[in-house]
Amino acid sequence: MTLINSDSKLSDIIYKDPSTITVLDRFGISLGVGDDTVELSCSKHGINEKFFTTILNTFINENYFPQLVLEQFSVNEIVDYLNKTNSYYEHNIIPNIERHFNFLIARAPSHNNNLVLMQQFFNEMKTELMERINDDRQRWFPEICNNDNSVDRTVETASHDNETANDSIEDKIDDLINMLIVHLKGDYDHNLGYAVIVAILALKKDIKQNNRIRNRILKPISLSINTQHD
Amino acid sequence: MTNDRVIISTSNTLEAIGLRDVLNTVFGIATHIAGNDFFINFSQATEPGLFFIDIETLMANLSFFLPRKNKTIVVTIGNKDVEDIQTLNINASENDIINRLNHILEVAKKDEKSNEALSSREIEVLRLIASGKINKEIALELNISINTVLTHRKNITSKLGIKSVSGLTFYAMMNGII
Repeated sequence: MTLINSDSKLSDIIYKDPSTITVLDRFGISLGVGDDTVELSCSKHGINEKFFTTILNTFINENYFPQLVLEQFSVNEIVDYLNKTNSYYEHNIIPNIERHFNFLIARAPSHNNNLVLMQQFFNEMKTELMERINDDRQRWFPEICNNDNSVDRTVETASHDNETANDSIEDKIDDLINMLIVHLKGDYDHNLGYAVIVAILALKKDIKQNNRIRNRILKPISLSINTQHD
Repeated sequence: MTNDRVIISTSNTLEAIGLRDVLNTVFGIATHIAGNDFFINFSQATEPGLFFIDIETLMANLSFFLPRKNKTIVVTIGNKDVEDIQTLNINASENDIINRLNHILEVAKKDEKSNEALSSREIEVLRLIASGKINKEIALELNISINTVLTHRKNITSKLGIKSVSGLTFYAMMNGII
């Protein structure tokens, strides 16, 4: 696995894993990165370089999760990143999947109700994700940010079992991908079918990283707030 | 595993003997050490359940092992990834090696079940799950124990690769089960 450091060139990072474009976007970095290294780009955009490299590394390498490093960042910084991630789901990737799905169904023969059912299943997952995003914005994130100063973060709180807990959104995305790949029947436009799968796979990768940060970093903090208030 | 026989083939003889000993004494699994000619003169009638090999054996017999990826374990020194094939790091403590072997044997057992069609009983259970019944109600309706319901659910999920209730419901709708 390749780890990114301050000398890494942004263009090399994108060449290696184009899905990082969406992560760079959350930090305000857009395409046309020239020869900039991580260090230079972070100083140009006023980004905390250590936070930036940690987030990118956890995004690129599924098995890399430096818990101790992540715990050192301020809660506001983490919440800000997750807020931008939520906006990316809401305004980019979900509408993108919807658009592809709509085209796929519009172009399919009318007797193929398989795709309509899959879209309904997707809509169910979407509703759940949107509810979670709203709860993050209105309740969970403000609660964590407002109480952060009063929390002793060195206190050992939640067990790390959380990461293995079933996540129903992640499960549904897995199921949806499985249904498309294994169980799809009937005629459909192959090009659009591919577009739907690629878009859902991108969402899956993103949600997985997002959930690791939520479950292993934010949840213990939030639990320690609740314990101290009890 | 359909066949308990385990084959070890590595160029490091001591490594092979050590592994055979652990599999024999700790797990009670009959294990044989084979040379490279084993894979050339292989007859399918005696298909083993698992293969422990080193990376050189893998590379030398790719067309043999790739179709048997699910029951191949590459023995490595240190933590290394070998494509999507399972690995066993032998440069680890005895405990770690045994834990890892436990996991590998567990996965091998699971793999046996997948890729089969649903049985008629499983289709019945799936129909009830899809109509919103909880385990207790399914058990009552089919006159079976809750544990049996859970086993059916586990098998349905492993065969279809679908975990969530709503995923199973949509699968049932797509296939005319409800």
